[in-house]
Amino acid sequence: MLFGLMETGFPLFYWGNALMIVIALILIYLAIAKDMEPLLLVPIGFGMILVNLPLGGMMDYEMRLKAPQAGTVMEISTQEGKGFDKGSVICKLDSGEVVAPVFGRVGELIVEKGQHVEKGQVVASIFTMEQTDQAVYPSRPVGLLSRIFQYGVMWQILPPLMFLCLGALTDFGPMLANPKTLLLGAAAQFGVYLAFFMALFVGFTLPEAASIGIIGGAEGPTTIYVSSVLAPHIIGATAVACYSYMALVPIIIPPVIRLLTTKKERGIFMKPSLRKVSKVEKIVFPLITAIIVILIVPTSAALMGCFMVGNLFKECGVTERLRKTAQTTFVDLITIFLTLAIGASMPAQNFLQPKTLLILVLGVISFASAAGAGVLLAKFMNLFLKVKINPMIGGAGVSAVPMSARVVQVMGQKENPKNILLMHAMGPNVAGAIGAAIAGGVFIGILG
Amino acid sequence: MIDWDLSIKTAVGGFGLVFGILILLMITVELTRVITEKFFGGKK
Repeated sequence: MLFGLMETGFPLFYWGNALMIVIALILIYLAIAKDMEPLLLVPIGFGMILVNLPLGGMMDYEMRLKAPQAGTVMEISTQEGKGFDKGSVICKLDSGEVVAPVFGRVGELIVEKGQHVEKGQVVASIFTMEQTDQAVYPSRPVGLLSRIFQYGVMWQILPPLMFLCLGALTDFGPMLANPKTLLLGAAAQFGVYLAFFMALFVGFTLPEAASIGIIGGAEGPTTIYVSSVLAPHIIGATAVACYSYMALVPIIIPPVIRLLTTKKERGIFMKPSLRKVSKVEKIVFPLITAIIVILIVPTSAALMGCFMVGNLFKECGVTERLRKTAQTTFVDLITIFLTLAIGASMPAQNFLQPKTLLILVLGVISFASAAGAGVLLAKFMNLFLKVKINPMIGGAGVSAVPMSARVVQVMGQKENPKNILLMHAMGPNVAGAIGAAIAGGVFIGILG
Repeated sequence: MIDWDLSIKTAVGGFGLVFGILILLMITVELTRVITEKFFGGKK
C-alpha cells in the first residue's frame, strides 16, 4: 500500500516479470541500435513491458468462478487483490473445492465463510491475463490491450487487414515475369511441414504443431492468424519467433545456402532484366488468384482475399487514395494495434515455460529448412532448364519479404559482382507469402 | 494421444495442396500472358 491509500505493483512483481522486461529491453535495443525490424520490435517490446507490470490491468480478462456443486463454504483460501497460480484453491466447500483454472489475482470474493451456495453460483470474480477456451471458461476483456487483443486478434480482424496492407505494398511483377519462381515459393513451405512434424514428436498437440509449423511461412500476420484460430495460448511465442527470425534472416539463411550450394552454383549469372509485365496481367493476377485459391481452400479466404484486394488497389490505377492509405497510414495503424497486442500476450506466467523455448528452436528449424528446400528445388530445376537459375534465389522462397531477397542479392554480388539477383529473388519471395497463406488456410481447414 | 493418421494426412495433403495450387497459378499466369499478348498486343 502506498501511504495506506492505494496498492502498488511491487507485492505481485516477481523474477519472471523482471526477466520478461529484460527480454523486452533486448528486443527494443536490437530495434533501435541494430535497426532490426524496428516497426515491429519496438511496440512488441513495449507491450511486453506493460503486461509485466502487475496491477496495470492492460491485459486483464475478468472471469467469474462458480461453485461446481452446492455446499457450504468451509474456508476461503485467499484474499481480495492477492495473486494465485493456475490450479490454486480459491475456497473450500463441504462438497468440494473451487479451483482457479488460470493464474491471476482475486478481484472480489462474493461469498463468506459459512454461507450456503448453490451449484453454479458465482463465488469470486478474478482477473487473469491467460487466454482461455471461451466455451469452457468464459471471460471478458477489461483492459485496453486485452480488448484490442480480443476484438482485433482473437476475432481475426487485424491479421487479415495487415495482409491487405501487405498486398498493397507487394509487387508481383518479378514473379509474373518468371512464373517458375512460384514453384520455389511452394518448395519453401516444406519447412512449415517439417517443423509441424517435429513439434508433434516433442509433444505438442496437432493445433499447436500447426501454429508452430506456420512460423516457417515467415509471414507475421499468417502466423498470428493461424495461432489465434488454432492455439491462442501460444500466440505470443509463435509471433515473437516469427518476427524475430524475420529480422534474423541475414544470419539464418546464408549458412543454409552455403551448405547446399557450391561456389560455382552461387556464381551462376542471371540476366538482370526481367520481362516487362503488362498492366492487364498485374490486374488479372489478384482477381484470378483470389478466385482459384479461395475456391480450393475456403479457409484461406480472409488472408488471401485481403492480400489480393490490397494488391488490386495497387495495380488497378483507379483507387489511388485507397492504395496510398493502405501503404501508409492504415498499415501503420494496424501495425501499432497488432504489435502492441502481441507484446501484451506475453505475461511472464504465460511465456516463461519450457514449451516457449521449444517453439523458438522449432521456429528457427522451420525457417532454415524452408530456405533449404527452396534452394534444393532450384538445383533440381537446373537439371532440366536450358538457362540455369542461380539456386540461391530458392532461399528467398522463405518469404520474409523483402529481407530474404535482399540477403540473396548481397550473397550473389559477393560471389559474382556482375550478378544482380534482387528482382529474380523477389519472385520466390512473394510466392512464398502466397504459399504461406495457403498453408495456413489448409491447417485451419483441417484442424480448426 | 496424437492422431498420427490425421497428422500425416495434414502434412502430406497440405504440402501437396500448396504445391498444386501454386502450379495452377503458374499455369494461369502463363495463360494470362499468352492471352494478354494475343488480345491486347502485349499492351504495357
